[in-house]
Amino acid sequence: MSLRNAVSGAVGLVLGALVFASGTARADETCQSPFLAKITGQEDYVYVWTLGVKDWGDESDKLVTIGTNPARPDFGQVVSAVAVGGQHEAHHGGFNDDRTRLWLGGLDSSTIFIFDVATDPANPKLVKKIETFVEDSGGVVGPHTFYALPGRMLISGLSNAHDRGGRTGLVEYSNEGKYIRTSWMPQSAPYGYDSRVNANLNRLLTSSFTGKNNYMTELPKLMKDPVAMENFGNTMVVWDYHAMKPLQVLEVPGAPLEVRWALQPRHHYAFTTAALTGKLWGVFRKQDGTFEALDLGPIGDPNAPALPVDISLSSDDRYLFVDTFMDGTTRVFDVSNPRAPKQIYERKIGSQLNMVSQSWDGKRVYYTSSLLANWDQTGPANEQYLKAYTWDGARLTPSFEVDFRALALGRPHIMRFGDLELHRPAGLPEPEPAPAAAAP
Amino acid sequence: MRGGALAALLAAVALTAAAHEPPPAPPPLFEPPAVGSYELPVIQRVSEHWLLAADGSRAPLLGIGEAEVALVAFVYTRCGDACPLALATLQRLDRALAARPALGARTRLVSVSFDPAYDTPARMSELRGHMRPKGRWAFLTARDAAALAPVLSDFGQSFVQIPDAGGDPSGLLGHVLKVYLVDGRRDVRNIYSTEYLVPQLLLNDVATVLEVAAEDAP
Repeated sequence: MSLRNAVSGAVGLVLGALVFASGTARADETCQSPFLAKITGQEDYVYVWTLGVKDWGDESDKLVTIGTNPARPDFGQVVSAVAVGGQHEAHHGGFNDDRTRLWLGGLDSSTIFIFDVATDPANPKLVKKIETFVEDSGGVVGPHTFYALPGRMLISGLSNAHDRGGRTGLVEYSNEGKYIRTSWMPQSAPYGYDSRVNANLNRLLTSSFTGKNNYMTELPKLMKDPVAMENFGNTMVVWDYHAMKPLQVLEVPGAPLEVRWALQPRHHYAFTTAALTGKLWGVFRKQDGTFEALDLGPIGDPNAPALPVDISLSSDDRYLFVDTFMDGTTRVFDVSNPRAPKQIYERKIGSQLNMVSQSWDGKRVYYTSSLLANWDQTGPANEQYLKAYTWDGARLTPSFEVDFRALALGRPHIMRFGDLELHRPAGLPEPEPAPAAAAP
Repeated sequence: MRGGALAALLAAVALTAAAHEPPPAPPPLFEPPAVGSYELPVIQRVSEHWLLAADGSRAPLLGIGEAEVALVAFVYTRCGDACPLALATLQRLDRALAARPALGARTRLVSVSFDPAYDTPARMSELRGHMRPKGRWAFLTARDAAALAPVLSDFGQSFVQIPDAGGDPSGLLGHVLKVYLVDGRRDVRNIYSTEYLVPQLLLNDVATVLEVAAEDAP
């Protein structure tokens, strides 16, 4: 990164919060918490939370750091890989409000790993483990979404310790890792998954998946069990964010997963996808301030739902990227008219596909492959990768890829962007790129 | 240039203040939850710290009794974006609290500079003059960066120095704006960032923590 960019990047941190509040936001990846520090310019790294695999390298879950800046010699290279020890069903994670710490969760062990990404962004350091999440929270299991609030972290669970079913809650910890409180999902909508805040509206929107009994079961076996398949969420909940009280339950059949609020300040709606029905849904604010959920149509072949997973909305609220796991395909919808999305592009990324993250300027898009250890495909179809593309508004063009299987790194899941300049004080030289990690 | 930055800041925060009154805050798109209808759990506990007041004397950062609260904002006078918003919000709160004695008498506003090398007591005094507080509003700084460091660490307020084109400190500090609501036990009950600096919301939180009856609340 040039010094000029370094300056603008750092200034962006200062400007970001204010500019974001006024609605002409400039930041890095889209779809992050509005309370998160924002940076401008080219991301230097992508952090990838990766599931360990038996007989692959050290078999441990790990945080893998990959260079993403074409101007740096570590572009497209694995810069570091920090094993946390053991397999915890590594899944999602997120930065705290000033992006100095990256919180990562394991859905199986319910362990939370907190990395320092400020001292040396190329080489994150594990500085704290929270192994009492279940006890702290009064029985919430499976820490899923990690969402920065001012001075604290909001964590939505997937399950509970009582019956490993889908009833769960929202848990808050301070930035220092001290438990604050648990807000259980309402009885009429007990399942949980994602949790996202629209600060302008003082609304928190949550979605619903399934409990530990299901998400730790092999997918083919699960799909043959009609009783188990009944145990998925069919609801979304609108909360008063400030009071942390549920206000409204919306019916969204088929396990609505990722929640993405529109990013422009006058756009009072959100998108989600229903995993089991393969449909795109919109959640729209009505004149009276309440919300309605609308079926916006199928994703791909309506007769063969391909399990939509992660979605990513562009910063101008125009393009919605939708990944489907079973066919390894990403589809881009023009959502300029949010009530009538139109698919404008599709591309097969791999044999299986899960997460997608895009830069704020919409020019770079990153994909990873793994869904859950027991749900990923098997044999040769079990491709495990990070693939980077550029997006020109019409098509994706390959940039680089990292084969996590060949490198025995594991199953890559969530991605978060890192920046060298964000945390480097003035007067310190730009660090030398770390040598690329050798393949085990 | 530095004087220009200060002038820009003061102009920004006191823009409308030919009459030295803040402009009304834009109405939020939501109705803040009613006073006392929700909980504000403890986020963290902070300590009392001794800093420098605008007249150069030693002054407590919190300076509140058990039945009082403090709203603490870390700002600096060369800041051109988020800090003016924080100061404007505090100015609105100052006026609102002055009109509500049941709250105002038990609430202390505190602006702390995290640029003590530049923000001397004299500069904080100048800032105070522009803000023209009507209630309890302290403008604090520290002897030096070393004296301020434990305060920032205690509150969890981080910042970095932004380099200029030559790689030297530019005088600008990168930070995430945070305003802390602290109760009389020194427990932080809420933290507000730029996205959430809604005066009515802060007033309701103050009244909720102080358990002020609704009729005396905002």
